[in-house]
Amino acid sequence: MTTSLHWARRRASVARFWRRYRTHRAGVAGLAGLTLLALVAVAAPLLVGSDVQSVTHAPGEALESPSGAFPLGTDRFGRSLLGLLVWGARISLTVGLLAAVLSVAIGTLVGIVAGHYGGWFSTVVMRITDWFLVMPTLVLAIVLATVLSRSVWTVILAIGVTTWPTTARLVRAQTIAVESRPYIERAKALGGGHRHVMTRHVLPNVMPLVLAQTTLGISTAILTEATLAFLGLGDPSVVSWGGMLQDAREAGAVSSGHWWYLAPPGIAVALVALAFTLCGRAVESVLNPRLGVAR
Amino acid sequence: MITTAPHLSPRRNPLLGSHPGRRLRMLLAAGIAASALSAVSPQAQAQTQVQAQATAQAQAAGAVRGAGQFTDGRTSAAGTGMRTDDGKSDDKDGADNVLTVAVSQSVDSLSPFLAQRLVSTSIHRLIYEYLTNYDPGDARPIPGLATAWSPSPDKLTWTYKIRKDSTWSDGRPVTAEDAAWTFDKMMKDPNAATANGSFTANFAAVTAPDPETLVIRLKQPQANMTALDVPIVPKHIWEKVGDFSKFNNDTRFPIVGNGPFVLTDFKVDQYIRLKPNKDFWRGAPKFDELVFRYYKDGDAAVAALRKGEVSFVPNLTPAQAASLEDAENIKVNDAPGRRFFALATNPGARAKNGGRFGSGHPALLDPVVRKALFHAVDRRTIVDKVFQGHAVEGEGYIPPRFAPYFWKPGASQRIAHDPAKAAALLDGAGYRKNADGKRMGKDGRPLDFRILCHATDPNDKAVGKYLQEWWGDLGIGLKVDCLDNVSDPWLKGDYDLAFDGWSVNPDPDFVLSIHTCSALPATPSGTGATDNFICDERFDQLYAQQAVEYDAARRGDLVRQMQSRLYDTGFMNVMVYPNALEAYRTDQIKSITTMPEAAGNLYGQDGYWSWWSAEPAAAGRAASGGGGSSAAVAIGIGVSVVLVIAVGVLTSRRRRATADDRE
Repeated sequence: MTTSLHWARRRASVARFWRRYRTHRAGVAGLAGLTLLALVAVAAPLLVGSDVQSVTHAPGEALESPSGAFPLGTDRFGRSLLGLLVWGARISLTVGLLAAVLSVAIGTLVGIVAGHYGGWFSTVVMRITDWFLVMPTLVLAIVLATVLSRSVWTVILAIGVTTWPTTARLVRAQTIAVESRPYIERAKALGGGHRHVMTRHVLPNVMPLVLAQTTLGISTAILTEATLAFLGLGDPSVVSWGGMLQDAREAGAVSSGHWWYLAPPGIAVALVALAFTLCGRAVESVLNPRLGVAR
Repeated sequence: MITTAPHLSPRRNPLLGSHPGRRLRMLLAAGIAASALSAVSPQAQAQTQVQAQATAQAQAAGAVRGAGQFTDGRTSAAGTGMRTDDGKSDDKDGADNVLTVAVSQSVDSLSPFLAQRLVSTSIHRLIYEYLTNYDPGDARPIPGLATAWSPSPDKLTWTYKIRKDSTWSDGRPVTAEDAAWTFDKMMKDPNAATANGSFTANFAAVTAPDPETLVIRLKQPQANMTALDVPIVPKHIWEKVGDFSKFNNDTRFPIVGNGPFVLTDFKVDQYIRLKPNKDFWRGAPKFDELVFRYYKDGDAAVAALRKGEVSFVPNLTPAQAASLEDAENIKVNDAPGRRFFALATNPGARAKNGGRFGSGHPALLDPVVRKALFHAVDRRTIVDKVFQGHAVEGEGYIPPRFAPYFWKPGASQRIAHDPAKAAALLDGAGYRKNADGKRMGKDGRPLDFRILCHATDPNDKAVGKYLQEWWGDLGIGLKVDCLDNVSDPWLKGDYDLAFDGWSVNPDPDFVLSIHTCSALPATPSGTGATDNFICDERFDQLYAQQAVEYDAARRGDLVRQMQSRLYDTGFMNVMVYPNALEAYRTDQIKSITTMPEAAGNLYGQDGYWSWWSAEPAAAGRAASGGGGSSAAVAIGIGVSVVLVIAVGVLTSRRRRATADDRE
């Protein structure tokens, strides 16, 4: 019986969330864009087929300009750039999601632990966090991606372990705020241990924050992934948007005027990052009314 | 990012914000973000170069390989920003004719005893005389610092006549004593033998009985005595040098030399400036100044060429070459190159003392597997698709340009493109496909190979994609490992296959010597001059025979036999001979000598012919760039894409800043 009450409450809260979210037009636009993109990425094997990556069965000539057969032209191997763009969405989105999740997971863990225990432990942990915070993210990620072997997982790891400090600081602050409330004291008095307080009381209360942070983190992660791939630090055997930009640069597309090689992946990266930012922003302002009145 | 916002009041959406002042701020910030983005890459670049340089200096063999593999000064992976010199403009001496050459490869050292990269050794050709030079027509040895030479009847003593009309740029005469001191130093100080020690390893003694006579006594006959590519340095300057492993010859300018040019200024990765040597015995160069300017990005170099800021750009991509063909006042030179581009398979890395090391795949020790792999490769497609026709299909080891030594396999010996035969070979040798279509090795594991690829070379990556598919059809997996620093795994033998490439000299001794047993490292932890740990008794016998053979025809025959043997071992298979693709402005350079003169390259020649012979065009530097508009459009698009991305970053950053503000 408690469970059904529980679920009813959850349903109500989700409905309330959606009602408020709907009022943010930019957020809805971002969500629509993301849904479309996610569908395209998931359906890519049906839409273009994995053959689109094949260089030996490339249908066109190298660097053809846009035409009926190839709406966005072809790359240096004669592959359809539209097909590659669709296929590349899979990697860009996967890496963005996983890296953001990793980053936020590390940040949440560090933040809650530091906020909960406090004292000298918190000071030490937060100084380490500060150290990561002042390190230029991109440079650190480049170093990591250079040292480790070239693969998608390396890129995810490099982004994940370099972008967590913001989340950690945020979550720590929220943890301290939550723990100062009387019911935490009551839980402790009833014999609740550290683990109980952290997982049962603090974590659910910082979750909304974490969720918003993840959504915002994804756009940063996608951009960083594209940057790393553009700098030649991605896995060369997978098709990603940043990798396409890198290919274009290596083929000398900029100076030889092959704009169609460069522009679509660049614009795609920008649009996805924008869509995630719009969503994240809407989520953030729904969950935190203090940020401003709904627009 | 820590709470920088002054207030927490409700904010407009920064992206949709309509306030003009805010929009301006945003644009500004976007610009800053964009420049920050581009500023990062030179750093990254510098970092990889430092690494490369450190390896180069720490490990002789690594450096030798670096020399070969960096040879064509590839477009760097991590360089988006271009660097120009620090405010010094060529226009300051507007009337002068300046020949500006775009380069991307970093100088490893200006010391002739250490330098191994193409850019550095090319500079040394320009500022120091060698005993002999190569004829621009047919690359036969012609007089350089030596006017004549002759071996003794026992072939063990060589006598060179040193020319009288050569002086150092500080006014002192050049004598045989300088040459004798240079060789002697290389023989006695291992630190001075880093770059060119292979030439003097067989020397017994070098003396200068009088200022015009140099006598070299050998332990055994040596066939490349008329092709000693060793810069002769002034004794009175260099005898003051303490540690040859640390002195890079870049502290005092101008550098005292006796070549057609004098190096007057050098800034790492910015520029190298040279002035003509007015007293050069063959005649002074025609340009008033020669500047090698660094463009770490190939597109930036091409844009500079279109605008007339540089006179010459080497190492174009096929797309760049095609677009420059139509440009006004620009000539594209597409000539057979001196390089080969090969696949090397790890023959089981080992040291001279018999110690085995590395992690080469055991299946590659089976000649059938190697043969099958090469049968599955379609060289024609690599030439057509990856090089867009700007390459020649690979045959033997030495490129066809060196006709006296060129060899190609006969019909029966040839490993031609034949995927069906490759599959049949593997089936016959017991490497059968399992249910998933994967070939299984003798040890029951699937055949999955790694290939070592240079992250800085787009061609490695492109060919890697084709190999993955061709070998994938055979049921063999391939992982393309692209690294900035391939030397470390290479020297440790931690590779299955690798992309390999060397520039070949008119005398093939060096590129052959790197496949002999004596080039192996002494111990598993040591480094040797070996390229691919090949150690083959028959190859070594032939190498020893050609090294002492003074008859050109007989030596050519031996060298061809060596290539045949190398081909049959299947540890090296040449895919293509890439062309030299380069372009120069005809309104700045009126004429320039290619090498070979008929259809040859200009950058990285064996002699100093191109820059020495270049004649300025009357129009000089006044010309404006033709056909630059399409590049400008493309660059504009590129910049706007970066801006859009920057705005995206900015938006997310701003939102994060507000998030930081809470609680």
